[in-house]
Amino acid sequence: MFLPDIPEFLIWLIYLAPLGSAGVIAVSIFARRTRLANVLPENRAGNIAIVFAVLSWVLGLWTLDMSIGHHGADIGLGEYLWLSIFDLQISFGLGIDGLSAVMIFVVTSIALLVQLYSMGYMEHDPAYSRFFLFMSLFVASMLGLIMASSLLQLFIHWELVGLTSYLLIGFWFDRPSAAAAAKKAFIVTRFGDIGLVLAVTLIWAKTGTFSISEINEMAHVGLISAPILTGFTIGLLAGAAGKSAQFPLHFWLPDAMEGPTPVSSIVHSATMVAAGVYLLARFFPTIEAAPASVSTAIAYVGGFTAIFAASMALVVTDIKRVLAYSTISQLGYMVMAIGLGGYVAAIFHLFTHAFFKSLLFWGAGSVSHATGTFEMPKMGGLRTKMPLTFLTFVIGSLSLSGIFPLAGFWSKDEILLEAWHVDKLLWLVGTIVAFMTALYMFRVIFMTFFGEYKGGDPSGVHHSSEDEAHGNYQGHVTESPPAMGVPMLIGSVAAVILGFAALLHFGEFVEGALPKEMQHFHFHMDSFVLTISTIVALGGIGTAAAIYLANQPSSAVIQDRFPRAHNILRRLYYVNEFAETGVVRMALLNGVARGAEAVDQRVIEPVVNGVGSGTKLLGEALRRTETGQLQSYTSLYMVGVVAVAGGFLVLSGDMLSSIGIDVHAIIDYSFKLLNPKNLIPPK
Amino acid sequence: MLAAFLLLPLAGGLLTAFLPDSRKGEARWIALFFTSLAFLISIIMYVMYDNTAGGLQYVETTEWISTDLFTLSFGLGIDGLSAPMILLLGLLSVVAVLISWNISEKTGQYFSWLLLLESAVAGVFLSLDLIQFFLFWELELLPMFMLISRWGTGRKLYSATKFLLYTLAGSALMLAGFLLLGAAGGSFDIQTLTDSPVTDAAIPLGFIFWSIMLAFLVKLPIFPVHTWLPDAHTDAPTAVSVMLAGVLLKMGGYGILRIAVPLLPEVAYDSQTILATLAGITIIWGGVITLRQTDLKRLIAYSSVSHMGYVLLGVSAMNSVGFSGAAFQMFTHGTITGLLFVMVGYVYERTHTRQISEMSGLMHHLPKGGVIMVIAGLASLGLPGLSGFVAEITVFLGALEPHPVATILGVLGVVLSSGYILWTVQRVFQGPPRREWEHLRDSTSWYEWLAVAALLIPIVLFGIYPALLAESIESGILPIAQVMEALEELV
Repeated sequence: MFLPDIPEFLIWLIYLAPLGSAGVIAVSIFARRTRLANVLPENRAGNIAIVFAVLSWVLGLWTLDMSIGHHGADIGLGEYLWLSIFDLQISFGLGIDGLSAVMIFVVTSIALLVQLYSMGYMEHDPAYSRFFLFMSLFVASMLGLIMASSLLQLFIHWELVGLTSYLLIGFWFDRPSAAAAAKKAFIVTRFGDIGLVLAVTLIWAKTGTFSISEINEMAHVGLISAPILTGFTIGLLAGAAGKSAQFPLHFWLPDAMEGPTPVSSIVHSATMVAAGVYLLARFFPTIEAAPASVSTAIAYVGGFTAIFAASMALVVTDIKRVLAYSTISQLGYMVMAIGLGGYVAAIFHLFTHAFFKSLLFWGAGSVSHATGTFEMPKMGGLRTKMPLTFLTFVIGSLSLSGIFPLAGFWSKDEILLEAWHVDKLLWLVGTIVAFMTALYMFRVIFMTFFGEYKGGDPSGVHHSSEDEAHGNYQGHVTESPPAMGVPMLIGSVAAVILGFAALLHFGEFVEGALPKEMQHFHFHMDSFVLTISTIVALGGIGTAAAIYLANQPSSAVIQDRFPRAHNILRRLYYVNEFAETGVVRMALLNGVARGAEAVDQRVIEPVVNGVGSGTKLLGEALRRTETGQLQSYTSLYMVGVVAVAGGFLVLSGDMLSSIGIDVHAIIDYSFKLLNPKNLIPPK
Repeated sequence: MLAAFLLLPLAGGLLTAFLPDSRKGEARWIALFFTSLAFLISIIMYVMYDNTAGGLQYVETTEWISTDLFTLSFGLGIDGLSAPMILLLGLLSVVAVLISWNISEKTGQYFSWLLLLESAVAGVFLSLDLIQFFLFWELELLPMFMLISRWGTGRKLYSATKFLLYTLAGSALMLAGFLLLGAAGGSFDIQTLTDSPVTDAAIPLGFIFWSIMLAFLVKLPIFPVHTWLPDAHTDAPTAVSVMLAGVLLKMGGYGILRIAVPLLPEVAYDSQTILATLAGITIIWGGVITLRQTDLKRLIAYSSVSHMGYVLLGVSAMNSVGFSGAAFQMFTHGTITGLLFVMVGYVYERTHTRQISEMSGLMHHLPKGGVIMVIAGLASLGLPGLSGFVAEITVFLGALEPHPVATILGVLGVVLSSGYILWTVQRVFQGPPRREWEHLRDSTSWYEWLAVAALLIPIVLFGIYPALLAESIESGILPIAQVMEALEELV
C-alpha cells in the first residue's frame, strides 16, 4: 500500500529470523566454555532474541502493508516440494492473506514485547539463555503455523508449538508440579490432535491435496461430499479444542501457568492457544460448506466453554489461574463466533484479546515479581506501591470487560451481535459471560491492589533466591524494572486504541482471505445489544466492588450460603480428578494396561513356557547321551549349520555322484512329489 | 562390493576370536575397523544405487546346484528396499561396537560374535535366494544366543533360550513354506518367484503364506507372539539391544515386504484385514503395557513392540504409500530406538540401576545425556522435524482408506507414546535432584559421542528432509506397489 511489494525471501525471513535467533543462542550455550564465548557470551541471549524479533516485526509490518494492498486476498507465493513418494506429494509454501497478515502482526508484536519483558523478569534466572532459546523456537514455530500454505505444514508447526509449550511450561523442571503440568499440556492437546491427524489424513485420501486454499476452494464449490466434510471439520474441531483449551480438553491450560509468566502471556494466552481459533478461521469456507450441524456444534462448544471457564475464574485465588480461566472463556467466545458464522468477529476478538490479555499477564507477573506469590489473598494494597502496574492492569481489565471505548468493547460486541442475529440462547450465554468477566477481573483488582498488604510470600513461588536477594518482601514491595514497565505501557496503549481498527476496515481486510461470495462484512453496531452488554459489564464491576471492596455481602457470606456450589467450583467441577484419577490412573493404568500385562504374563507366557518345558523334557532325555552343557549344545548347533552348508557345497561339487549316488535325481524326484503339477496325471 | 560387506565383519570376527584375553584393547579396535569399513561400503552402495533404474543392482551370483528342475544359487544384490536396511545395519554395527568399548569379559569372543551377527543379518538383507535367506536367518540366532546368554544380565539364559525357541518355532514353518513355494515355482530365486508368482502348490497357498508370515511376525514382533522381545531386551547387553531393536526386528518387516507379499500377492491382499487387525492390536497392546513398565530398558523394549505395529499397519494397507510408510518406519525406528537403548545404557553405566523409581532429577547430573534422551524420546513419539513423524504420517495416509479403524488405533498409539515417553522423562530427568546421584559425572567419552552422533544425525536429517530416504524407498516399493494396484483394480 505504502511500500513496494516485499520480496518472497524476506517473508520467509519473518519465520526464519527467530529460528536463526534460536540457532545463535544454542551455539552460545554450547560454546560457553570455549573461546567463542568472548565474542558470543551466553548472557546476551536476551539481546540476540530481541534483535531477531525486531527484524521479524519490521518484515511482518511490511508484509501487512503488502497484504493491505492486495485487499487481504492471497498474494500467491511459490510452493516447494518437500517429499514425494508415489501419489504422496508434499509441498511447502507461504500463504499470505488478510488473515495470516494480521496474525503475523499479532505474533511478532507480542513476541517483541514479551521478550523485552522477559529480559527484566528472567534477569536473574540461572537458565536465562535457555529461556530465550526456547522462546525463539516457540516464536518460529508459531509463525510457521500461521504462514503455512499447506495443512500438513501447518500441522508440523502445530506440533512444534506444542513441543515448545511443553519445554516452556516445564522450564523449571525440577519442580514436580511444573514437570507434571508440562506433560499434561502436551498429552491433553495431543489427545485433541488425534482428530486433527485423522482430518489431515482423511482430506488427503479424498482430495489428494494438502493445500489449504485448494481444500477450501473444493469445499466451497461443492466438490467434497457432506460426510467427508463433516468428518474433516469435526477433526479440526477436536484439534482446535485441544490447542485452544475448549471443553472437555480445557483442563491443561490452568496447570500450564506453572511456566514463567512471560511464557503464560505469549504461549498460553495471546498466540498458541489462539491457534485453534486460527485453524477454524483458516478453514472457515470449508466449515461453512459442511452440514450446518457442524457449525452449531462448534458454536455450542465455544459458548459452553466460555461460561464454564468464567464460573471457575470467579473463585480461583491464584491471579494467573484467574487469567488462565479467563483466557479459556475468551477463546470460547472466539470459537463460538466461528460457529455462528462470525469469522471477522472471531479474528477481531483474537486480535484485541492477544494484546490486553498479555498486558494482564505482565501485570500479574509484575505483582508476583514484587510479592513472591501468585496467591491474591497474600497480596492487597499494591495500588500505591506499584502505580504503573496498577494503572495498566486496570486498563487491561476494563478492556477485557468490554467498557467503551477500549479495544475489548468493540470486538466483544461484534461477537454478541453475531449471536443476537443467529442464536438468542448463545447471545444470552455470551452476555452472562460478559457480566462474569467484569466481575472476576475486578475481584482480582480489588483483592490485589486495594485493602491492606498481606505480606506476600517470603519463601517465594519460584526463583525465590532471586527475589530474596532483591529484598523485595514485606514493606519493600517496589515497582518492576523498566524492561517490564515499557511493554506494559505499550500494551495498555494497544488495549485502548486497537478497537478503532474496526473503523479502519479491519473486517473487510480479514475477509479478503475468504472467497468473494462470502465477503459481506460491514461494520455496524446495534444500540440494544451494545447497551445491554455495557450495563452488564458495569454491573459486574459494581458487584465486584460490593463484595470485595465494601464486603456487602462479603465473599465469606456467599460461600456459606452456597457451600455446595462453592465447593464444586473450587474443585473445578472435578474434571482433573475425573481425567487423572478416573481415566488415566484407574481406566488406563490399572484397567486396560494391567489387563493387557496380565494376559501377557498369565496367558501367553504359560503357553510359551509350556512349549519350552516340553523341549526341555526332550533335552533331559537327550541328556542321557549328552553332557547337558550349554557349550555342547551350541557346538552341536554349529556342527549342524556347518553340515548343512557343507552339504550344499558337497552337492554342488558333484562329489557324491562321483561315488555313484545320483543326488540330483533324488532331489529332483522329491521335488516332483511336492509339485502339484506333477501330481496331476498326464493327459 | 556386496560380498565385501558380507565378509568383512566375518573376517574381523575371526581375527578377534583368536585374540588372547590379555589383548582385549586390540579386539575392539579391530572390530571398530572392520565395522567402519563395512559401514563405508554401505554408504557407498546406498549413494551409488541408481534409484531411477531401480531393480536389483550390484548382483553377484554363484551357482550351487543346477538341475533341469531347479537351481540353488548363492546370490547377493541390493535394491531400493534393501539399500536402506544395509545402510542401517552398517551404521548400527559401528554404534554397537562403540558402546561395547568397556566390555571386559572375554572381549575377543564378544566382538567376534557381534561381528558374526552383522554378517548374518547382512546375508538376510542381501540374499536373492529363499534357501540362502533361510540359512542366514538361522545363522543370526547363534550369535544372538551366545551374546545374550553369556554377556547379558538377569535371567539371561532363560531369555536367550526363549528368544531361540520362539524364532526356531517360527522359522521351521518358514522353511517348509519356502520348500513348497520353490517346488511349485520351480525355483528358489526370489526375483523369479516375484516376477511370476506361484498360483498353485501342494497345499493351499494360504497355508504357505501364513507359515512364512509366522516367522516374520514373531520377528517383528506382533501380538500375540511378542513376549520374547521384552525378556531378550531386558537381559541383553546394551549393544545387543541396539542390534536387536535396530536391525533384527527389521528382518521381519523386510521379509514381509521382500518375500511374503511379493511372492504370494493375492493371498497377501486377501489377508490385509487380518494383518491390519493384528497391527492395531499390537500398537495399542504394546503402548498400554509400556505405560506400566518400571524398568527403563523393558519400557523401551515394549515401546518397540508398539512401534513395529506401524510397520505391519503400513504393509496391511497394500498400497504404495502404506508400503513406503512401513519401509520408512523400519529405518527410522532402527535409529530412534537404537539411540534410546544407547541412552538407557548411558544412564545405567553411571547409575547402575534401571529402575525408574530410583531416579529423579537426573537432568541436573547428566545434562548432556538428558538432552539427548529427550530428543530421542521426542523422535519416538513422532515429533515433526524428526524422522519418526514422516514414517508414521506416511503409514496413516496409506492405511486410512483401507483400514480406518486400525488407523485410528494407530493414531491413538501416538498419544500413548507421548504418554509413556514424557512420563518417563518426567520421572527420570525432571523433578528434584536426589542426593545419591550427586557424585555422577556427565563426562562423555569420545566413543559415546560418536555413537550418539551416528544415530542423531540420520534422525534429524531424515526428519527435516525425508526425500533423501524417499527416493530409495520409492524405487524399492515400486514393483510390489504395481502388483498390488493391479490387484486392486481387479477387485
